[in-house]
Amino acid sequence: MQLTEEQILTLAPDEASKKAGKDLANAAKWVTKGVNQQALWGECQGSGSKPYQTQIDVLDMAFKCSCPSRKFPCKHGLGLLLLHTRQKQLFIDSAAPQWVTDWLEKRTEKQEKKAAKEDKPVDEVAQAKRQQARSLKVSDGVEELRLWVKDIVRNGIIAMPEKGFTFFENMAKRMIDAQAPGLANMVRTLGDTNFFVEGWQTTFLKQLLHIYIVTEGFRNSSQINDALQQDVKTWIGFTQNQDELKEQEGTTDTWMVLAKQLFEQDNITTERYWLYGVNTKQYALVLQFIVRGALAANHLNITAGQFIQAALVYYPGSMPLRAIIKKQISTTPVTIHANYSNWLQVAAAQTTVAAALPVQSDRAYLIKQLKPVQYNKQWWLQDADSNMMLLKNEQRYIWKLLALSAGHALDMVVIGNEAVYEAAGVWQNGLYKPL
Amino acid sequence: MKLPVYGKTDYINHFEIVIMQQWNDIVNTAMLGTEKKVPDFNAVPQNIVQPLQLIQQNQQLDKEEKYLQAAALIYNYQVCGAVPFKKENLIIAPAPAEEKPYCNKEALQVLNDILSEENIPLLAFWLQHCAAAGHIIHPELVHRLLQLGAEQKKLQTLITACCGNRGKWLAGFNEAWNFSMQQSTEETWQTGTPEQRRNILTATRKHNPVLAVDWLQQTWPQEDAATKTTFLEILQTNISAADIEFLELLATEKSKKVKELALDLLKNIPQSAVVQQYESLLAQTVQLKKEKALLGLSTKTVLLLQLPQVPDAVFNSGIEKLSSTKEFTDDEYIIYQLAMYVPPTFWQQQLNTTAEGVIKLLQDDAVGKKILPALVLAVKRFNNNEWAAALLQHSKIFYLDIMAMLPPQQQNDYSIRFFEGHEDTIIQNALNFTSEWSTTLTQKIFTYTAKNAYQYNRSFYSQHIHLIPMQAIAVLEKCMPSEAYQQSVWAGTSEYITKLISLKTQTITAFQP
Repeated sequence: MQLTEEQILTLAPDEASKKAGKDLANAAKWVTKGVNQQALWGECQGSGSKPYQTQIDVLDMAFKCSCPSRKFPCKHGLGLLLLHTRQKQLFIDSAAPQWVTDWLEKRTEKQEKKAAKEDKPVDEVAQAKRQQARSLKVSDGVEELRLWVKDIVRNGIIAMPEKGFTFFENMAKRMIDAQAPGLANMVRTLGDTNFFVEGWQTTFLKQLLHIYIVTEGFRNSSQINDALQQDVKTWIGFTQNQDELKEQEGTTDTWMVLAKQLFEQDNITTERYWLYGVNTKQYALVLQFIVRGALAANHLNITAGQFIQAALVYYPGSMPLRAIIKKQISTTPVTIHANYSNWLQVAAAQTTVAAALPVQSDRAYLIKQLKPVQYNKQWWLQDADSNMMLLKNEQRYIWKLLALSAGHALDMVVIGNEAVYEAAGVWQNGLYKPL
Repeated sequence: MKLPVYGKTDYINHFEIVIMQQWNDIVNTAMLGTEKKVPDFNAVPQNIVQPLQLIQQNQQLDKEEKYLQAAALIYNYQVCGAVPFKKENLIIAPAPAEEKPYCNKEALQVLNDILSEENIPLLAFWLQHCAAAGHIIHPELVHRLLQLGAEQKKLQTLITACCGNRGKWLAGFNEAWNFSMQQSTEETWQTGTPEQRRNILTATRKHNPVLAVDWLQQTWPQEDAATKTTFLEILQTNISAADIEFLELLATEKSKKVKELALDLLKNIPQSAVVQQYESLLAQTVQLKKEKALLGLSTKTVLLLQLPQVPDAVFNSGIEKLSSTKEFTDDEYIIYQLAMYVPPTFWQQQLNTTAEGVIKLLQDDAVGKKILPALVLAVKRFNNNEWAAALLQHSKIFYLDIMAMLPPQQQNDYSIRFFEGHEDTIIQNALNFTSEWSTTLTQKIFTYTAKNAYQYNRSFYSQHIHLIPMQAIAVLEKCMPSEAYQQSVWAGTSEYITKLISLKTQTITAFQP
């Protein structure tokens, strides 16, 4: 377990937990504490008569605590991790107590049971009926959406800024009714276009074209290859059975967590983890959804800069990117090298993706020696050949990026597409610094 | 016809000009609608001519779909052919190399903890230690500290010192952080913002009072009345006979406020004409006389305060003619006012006795008693520390106003001595200490504040942690209030204070060589 203090704090569910966790990173608060290869544990004297028993599976990064907190991980888990990072020498006990071994055993049993669990017999007729019913609903929805798109094109987009929220939201809701949540999100994104900036017409039109392409792909499913069919289904919002995915072997590698992005909409927080396979040199995007702040017990606890030994299974598609983690073990950092030398190589990679996938989405790239430069009052990232791409959301991180770069070029992780990218992290003196 | 350009030309100008124009036509059509405009595909690149023809010739498609398919094709062609925007000679001068070492890992960790506590006094404490050790902070925190510096003006000097060359370099990109830029003080005085000018004049007045007046004289005719008032207030620091010439010239100022302020400043200078005039009048007023005592068996020296004819010039200089309070007669009130503006040493010379002797004479006299508070004000006005100590030692009344003039140790001792009965005022004064409270004073303060948890909550300890000594941890338990309902609050507060003190201790340890 090689987490830095900064990385541990990013696991905290909120600011209050960070603060409380820091307060508990104090040896005096812990009645007992110990660590071995599998777990980290400690007993913390809280307000109750008995100390709280806090335990962390360090291989799979899972937390358990006997405190009544609903937060996950709780302040005790964070405090124990922080204390271990700060003062490893205090953790001299390596013999796990009964309550720790019991928990670890239960976890193993649960995983084995899950693996061994036989699939319930599927009522194939009912399933086929359900699929057919959904397919019909989606088809109807797609046709309705196409009419809406064509109406917009016929009448012109000049009036779009005055249309207001409901114009787009009503259609998004129709798509939800048609069981096409992916299309609903695309319509919402269209409505979220910033009509107050120069060039909104291009942004709006591109998104409108994306919607049209997906509907066209759905209509012509029989004429496109299987992989692209899967992409179309994903864009429309058909979900993939994760248990089925987990049955696949997956890609085993040492993965570096490049970045964690958070998006919030309608009480749902989407965590986007960008991973990079050290040996396979593949990128992956792992999504985690948190509804109304309620974290599941199997919540993924990884943080930018962390390395995990894991098998990842990619969702099927023509240019696979989204993946799920089958099994992860925290591991020690290794040296990795940027696999793109300059922006031209990134542009070439973009061409490969765009040729296979007509709908653009963000991808991560690890690029050598970029430096921030200012041009026309905007910040750009420039490579050694003076080629550059525009930075987005830079107000959030530009000062840290500048301070770290000191005007020099750095190896960098960027996330974006076409000509606009967000800097997600840099290597400084061999150390990865998430931005 | 020249097409309007929709979008960021900066990053689409790498596309072939043809495809860019084509895309603009696509956007123009979208703007107006296919009902009103038909896109022109005559100039598309050769590679996509054939697929475009297929779309256009497809009889099953209406014109909207033909447009959408053609637009999607051209858009994808654009994306596939995109190359980055090239711009040479965009140079950002790199930050100069650091001359000082970075602080160690432990110090960095404490700094992170302090930042997450959002505790400014502790941050100041950390920065003082960092600056004293000659260390600088790591680059990833430089922007956070510069931002804090923009909000916390008092920390700017320390932040500038601790952010090293990287901080100065980074500040060049953000106007709000320009406090970190190296600019000559005179340049700042001449070209800075009103706030910067005020700060630089204050600092200069402290170190080089004559230069500060020189600067003021140079720009005086260009300043407005409000600015003049602000700058004159700064002259209170290190005021001396050297300022008389400039201040006397201000008697002809248009602004009444400026004139009054200049006169008031002159009243702070013993050598000024106005103070000399008051002193001369007071010398005629204050005398000693011998009086029989003990049924005529002995004599004692008593004070005689008798006001002579007062010249009109004295009243014109701001001395009130009539008393506004029943306790003073008109003459007594004039004497009281004169005593306020005359250096306390006058009384020693006039009465030929020590400060203690003067205080005794005044206290023993009915009118003198009334004049004594004016003497206290004069002690403060003329910043006479010896007299401040004498008044606190020999006066029957506790004068908090002058306690702040004493050296830290004496202030601490008097705070302990007069604590009971003056708790809140003593605490308020103690908050201005420039060094930590003694453990005894801390214990007294804690014992009192623990009983008044609503008035002295966590924020009180957080804001003044720099004054609480590390030894205070040992007395926290002893300050536990007797009331049960206050005990749990104090237990929580004690824990909080312990945490803050721990951060102080960690700071000191982290910077130990």
